Amino acid sequence: MKNNIRVERAIKNITQADLADLIGVSRQTINTIESNRYVPSTVLALKIARVFDKPVEQVFFLEDND
Amino acid sequence: MKTRFLFPHWCRYLGYTLFVIHIPVVLFQKMLGFDTPGGTIDNGLFNPHHLFFMATTLLMAVGLFLAAFSKEKIEDEQISQLRLDSLQWAIYVNYVLLIVSLILSSDTEHILFLNLLIPLVFFIIRFQWKLFQNNRMLKRDGNA
Repeated sequence: MKNNIRVERAIKNITQADLADLIGVSRQTINTIESNRYVPSTVLALKIARVFDKPVEQVFFLEDND
Repeated sequence: MKTRFLFPHWCRYLGYTLFVIHIPVVLFQKMLGFDTPGGTIDNGLFNPHHLFFMATTLLMAVGLFLAAFSKEKIEDEQISQLRLDSLQWAIYVNYVLLIVSLILSSDTEHILFLNLLIPLVFFIIRFQWKLFQNNRMLKRDGNA
């Protein structure tokens, strides 16, 4: 699974730390998600999408091998 | 996922402290030499040797247990995933070593002792190593 959290953050102009605070996780978690080392649960994915005011599909995408 | 059954964060330091305390106590015992394997006289259940062994082993086991199963400062699903991963590794390693040592050795007392030690120690090291790696990567990536 891929995501464009980094791009969305840049648009909204918030840091990883800000995003982490907004959804109540650690900065490490945001970092691991952005670098595709951790796949978040549906709950977390929905929370992240809500911060950016977008549907989940516009933040997270399936890859061919998923 | 909610993480259950974890001790508060300060228990980690209590755990490390207990474990560190146990080391000089055991060394002291070895140096004084009142650890007499094969027991010359007393083989009863609560002889001094057994009591001492029990006390030091409990100190170590409780210390490792507290250090292993205490909360992180920020508990979230990624941390609990890491914890579960590390637990799985620890169990694998433990059983591989257990099986190998059962085949190669008949020293059951030490095998038992290792079996007490390895899962927790391996778990702690692996878990802390992964946390360290995450922190390092966070620092490297900065807040870009």
